[in-house]
Amino acid sequence: MYEAAKTIEELEEKQQWWWAAEKKRSKRLDYLRKAIWKKGAVGGLYNPGVKVELERPQLQTQKARELEMSPDPWVMKFAHMFAHVLDNKTIFITDHSQLVGYNADLPNTIGWDPSIASILNEEVFNDPSSLPEPIEESQKIIADIKNYWAGKSDLDKIMPYLDLDDMMKVLSGAVGWGVPLARGGYSGKDYEYIMTGKRGFEEVIAELDKNIDEADAKVHEPAASQEIMELYDKMNNWEAMQICLEACIRHAKRYARLARIIAENFETDEKRKQELLQIAEVCERVPAQPPRTLQESLQYDLFIQLFSRTEAIEGAWPARPDYYHGPYYQKDVVEDKRLTHEEAVELAGEFLIRAAEVEQYKPKFAREGLQGISGTWVWTLGGVNKDGSDACNGMTIALLQAARLVRVANPTFAFRWHPKVSDEVMKECFECIRQGLGYPSMRNDPILIANAMNWHGHPIDEARTWVHQACMSPAPTTKHGFQPMRMANATVNCAKIIEYVFSSGFDNVFNIQIGAETPPVEDLTDFEKVYEAWETQMKTLFSLLVRPVNRARSLAPTMTPRPFLSGISERSVESGKDVCDPSVSRGNSWITAFTWVENADSLAAVKKLVFDEKKYTLAELKEAMDANWEGKEDMRLDFVKNTPKWGNDDDYVDDIMLRCLRSAAKFSREIKDPMGNNWPILPENVSGNIHYANVVGALPNGRRLGDALYDGGISPGPGLDKKGPTAVLKSCGKIDHISDGRAFLLNQRLSPTQLAGEKGFQMWKAYMRAWADLGIDHVQFNMVDDTTLRAAQKDPEDYQEVIVRVAGYSAHFVDISRKTQDNIIQRTIQGL
Amino acid sequence: MAVCNECKRFFAQDEQPEKGDCVRRGEDPRQAFYTARPVTAEQDASSCPDFQKK
Repeated sequence: MYEAAKTIEELEEKQQWWWAAEKKRSKRLDYLRKAIWKKGAVGGLYNPGVKVELERPQLQTQKARELEMSPDPWVMKFAHMFAHVLDNKTIFITDHSQLVGYNADLPNTIGWDPSIASILNEEVFNDPSSLPEPIEESQKIIADIKNYWAGKSDLDKIMPYLDLDDMMKVLSGAVGWGVPLARGGYSGKDYEYIMTGKRGFEEVIAELDKNIDEADAKVHEPAASQEIMELYDKMNNWEAMQICLEACIRHAKRYARLARIIAENFETDEKRKQELLQIAEVCERVPAQPPRTLQESLQYDLFIQLFSRTEAIEGAWPARPDYYHGPYYQKDVVEDKRLTHEEAVELAGEFLIRAAEVEQYKPKFAREGLQGISGTWVWTLGGVNKDGSDACNGMTIALLQAARLVRVANPTFAFRWHPKVSDEVMKECFECIRQGLGYPSMRNDPILIANAMNWHGHPIDEARTWVHQACMSPAPTTKHGFQPMRMANATVNCAKIIEYVFSSGFDNVFNIQIGAETPPVEDLTDFEKVYEAWETQMKTLFSLLVRPVNRARSLAPTMTPRPFLSGISERSVESGKDVCDPSVSRGNSWITAFTWVENADSLAAVKKLVFDEKKYTLAELKEAMDANWEGKEDMRLDFVKNTPKWGNDDDYVDDIMLRCLRSAAKFSREIKDPMGNNWPILPENVSGNIHYANVVGALPNGRRLGDALYDGGISPGPGLDKKGPTAVLKSCGKIDHISDGRAFLLNQRLSPTQLAGEKGFQMWKAYMRAWADLGIDHVQFNMVDDTTLRAAQKDPEDYQEVIVRVAGYSAHFVDISRKTQDNIIQRTIQGL
Repeated sequence: MAVCNECKRFFAQDEQPEKGDCVRRGEDPRQAFYTARPVTAEQDASSCPDFQKK
C-alpha cells in the first residue's frame, strides 16, 4: 500500500506519517532511529534479540562480596558498589551518534539490578527468552547472583518491618500495583539545583568536602551534644554522595577517552572524526562542570538520568527539557549562531532516541501494566516560569518538531497549556497530535499550579516548576518540593471498592478477605447504606495501600539510601540527610486510582434499578454478579443500557461521581504521609484496565469478569459517551480539578480527516478553549481512524510504526495486547 | 602467555599505562558501534578469541 505514494506530500495526504518522517529526517536521525531496539515488553515478554545484561549484576555482586567484612555503614558500601559498576562496565558509542551513554553494556541489552528484590531476580532466572546464549551458562551466573542477594535485597530487608497482613493483601495482586521501595518507582529530581542552577558535580563535591571538614572539626571539639551525634551519620552520607559523584565524572571521562581513541585510531571520515572529538570535549566537561552549549546540556541531562538508573529502577522520567535546555538553544541558535535550528532539532531528536532505548528489567506486573513501553517517560513542555511568564522557547518547538521526525512511542510529551501560549506553539502541539503520535497530552497549567498549592502547600514559585512525576502527577523540582521516590505501591484497583460492597470485602477471585467486613449487601435497605459501605471499602483499600509506602519511606534513609540522588539534591547536600528522609521533604504523595469510573456507573445503576425503580433487589443483583451474569443476560443488558453513564452530562450519575470523589478527597486529608502531608487521589489507568480484567469480578454496571475495564481516569466507558464531545467536557467540568483530587485523566478520540488543515486546527483550538474554560486539568487524544487500526490488527507487519495513546502513555499499536487494541477502537470518535 | 598489552585493541591510559581499555568494533542487526572495557596491561589474553598481536 505504500508504493503508490512517493512524495512527502502524498504520504502526508494519506496520513502515512511514519513513511513521511522517514523521508524528512536527516540521515543521522534515520540511522539512529532505526538502530533502536524496541525494549518495551509485549504480552509481558521482551522482544526477540533483547537480552538481560549480566555484566553489571556480576560487578555489583563481586563488589558486595568484597565489602562484606568492611566496617563501613551500608550507605558507603552501596556507594562503592555504584562506583565499581560505573568504573568497570562496558561502554559503547554508536556510529553517527552525538550523545552517549546507556544503562547496560550493549545496545540490545536491558539493565538488571539484583539488589532491589529477590522476587525480581527469580523472574530473571525463569525468563529464558531474555537470557544471553548459552542459556545454561547464563542461568549458572544468575543463580550465583540471586543466591547471594537472597535475604539481602531491598525488599527482603524491608519486608520484616512491614505489616505482614497488609503485605499479603498487597502482594496478592488484587488491589494494588507495585511494591513499597525507594529504589523502585518514580524518582523526581531537584532540577532547580542541578540543571537550572547551572551547577556541575565538581562544585557539589567541593561543597560536600567543606561540609565534611566542618563536621569533622565539630565532632572533635570538647563537647558531646545531640548535634554532634547526628554529624557522624551525616558525614557518612556526605562521603557516600562524594564517592558517587566522583564515579560519575570518571564514567563520563571514559566516554571522552573512547571517543578520542575512535577518532585517532579508527575513524577515516574527517567530519565524523570532528564529531567524535566534540563528544570527547563534551564528556570531559559534563557532568564535572556545568554545560556551556546545547549538546553539553542535553548530555548532562542524559547522564543524570542514566546515573539515577544505575542507582535505582526508574519507572518514569520526570523532566522539563525545553525549560532546562531552552537557554542553551537560545545561546547556540539565536545569539551565537553556532547551530542552526535544524541542527538543534536533530540533537533534540537524538535525545529522544537515547531515552527511548533505556530499559531496566522489571517485574511481570509492571511489564504487563506498561504494555509496549519501558516506563512512563512523560516529559513536560511549556508552562510558565517562576515569575508566571510564558516559559515556551525555541527548544519547545525543536522538541515538538523532533518528535514528529523520530516518532518514538516513549518518551512522550505533556504540554502545560496556559492563556499566554502562542499560536505557533499550539500549532506544533496540534501537528504532533494530528500526525497520530497521541501526544502531547494537554495539561491546564493555572489549574494544576493551584492544585499543587491546595493539596501539598507548595509555594507558588515552586508549584510553577512542576513536571510530570509519572504519567500524570505534577511535582515541583525544587529543594523541598520534589519527591525523591513515588512508590507505585499506592496504586489502587478501585473497581474492587464497589465489588467488595457486594462481597463484604471478601475477594471471590483471590479467595481471601481483603476489604472491610461491611454488612451483607442484601441487608442494605437504602442507597445511603450502600454508599456508606462503599465509603468504608474505599477507606479500607486506600489505607491498605498507603500504609506500606509510609512505612517504607520512613525506613528508606537508613535501609535503602540513595547517595547519588542525594548528591544532586540541595536538601541532602546541605543537611547531610538521605534524600528520602521525611524531615527534609515537603511531600507530594498521591494515590493512583485505577479503574475509578466503574464505581460511579455501578452506584448509579444500583440507585436507579434497585432503589428508584425497584426492578431488582440487591440480593438478585448479588446473585447475578456471583454467577458472572450467566443466565441473566437480559438483566445484565438492563444494567448496561438502561442506566445513566458518566460522560453524558447527566446529573444523575455525575452527582454520584462528584460525591465519590469528594468522599475520597475528604479522606485524602485524613491520611497522611511521613511528611505530614496529604494523599490526594489521581484517577488514571496506564494499562491497568486490561491487566485487571481477569482480576475484577462482575460489577453492577453490567461488566463481566474478564471484560476490559474502562480506559481510565475520568474517561467515560468506551462507547458509553453517546452525547458528543461537549457533553463529555461538561461532565468532566463538574469536577473541581483543584480540590477534588490531584489530577484526572481524560482520553478522547478525534477524527484525523475532520481535523486536517487550518480549519482542523481552528476547530481543535475552539475545543481546547471550551476545555480550558471548564477548568479541566487534562485531555489527551487519539487521532488514528478505525480503518487504520483494524488494518493494523490484520496486517501488523505493515503497521509497525502506528502509535496510539493508551492511557498516560503512548505505545506502538502492534505492541499492545489485542484486548487493549480493541478497547482503543471501541472508544468513541468524537466529531467536533 | 599473551597479555592485553600486546594486543592491537589495547589502549593504555596516559597517566597509568598499566591500565587501559580493550576497544572493539561491534555490530548487531540494528547498529554498529565501538565498545570499551577496562583491562590491565598484564591481563592474561591467551584465551581471548579477539586477540590481535600488535
